[in-house]
Amino acid sequence: MAGIPLTVDLCGRLAEPYGRSVAIEISVEGLIAGDLVDAIAAAYPALTQMLASGRTKACVNDAIVPFSAKVLPGDVVALFPPVSGG
Amino acid sequence: MTITVELAAGPFEPAQRMARLTAIADGAGAVVSFTGLMRAVGQDGDALNALVLESYRGVTLASMKAIVADAVRRFAVSHVDVVHRHGRILPDEAIVFVAIASTHRRAAFEAVDYLMDRLKTEAVFWKREEGEHGSRWIEPTAADTDDAARWIKG
Repeated sequence: MAGIPLTVDLCGRLAEPYGRSVAIEISVEGLIAGDLVDAIAAAYPALTQMLASGRTKACVNDAIVPFSAKVLPGDVVALFPPVSGG
Repeated sequence: MTITVELAAGPFEPAQRMARLTAIADGAGAVVSFTGLMRAVGQDGDALNALVLESYRGVTLASMKAIVADAVRRFAVSHVDVVHRHGRILPDEAIVFVAIASTHRRAAFEAVDYLMDRLKTEAVFWKREEGEHGSRWIEPTAADTDDAARWIKG
């Protein structure tokens, strides 16, 4: 079964290699945020090192969530590097 | 009590905001403010053309409001005004303005100090300096982190 495309916004320095968003396919059942990060790192190798730092956070529907949180098709998803503060 | 927290896409006038807060702070014995300005010299001493503050959807404003809510719970303040720029900021422009009114000055001084320390380290922005070196992402300094740690109750 074909996956469902999900757009993942990339903030801060994460946007440098591929731009402000990347696309990835997920199943209709979705996946946990940690697995999404791993999938993006695999699909977009220039992000691998930054995503492996352990300092990335997942934002789903405008809320920062733990990596155990579920991501479903249609969710608004972003990955955050460490914030700079104001 | 009035609490104003704003994310501004363009320049704002700190003096006007201070005047407005002072005018509405009936009964306040103290009004304290801080204005952060963009310096023309970066962290490494390079000349800067601009500072770019990236925000994200409603998350950035929500992070600012959460920090302000903590300040209101912690300090005896009566009025709060916080505005923070995002986007492209030029040298000498105001980046952030924080003003607090309270009955007594100690709460106002401490609340402004607290808010700035937390905004500098926790508000959801990503900061990039643009200058003679090109473009460079920057993170909170060790001093910023130490300042914010002062407020953690043991």
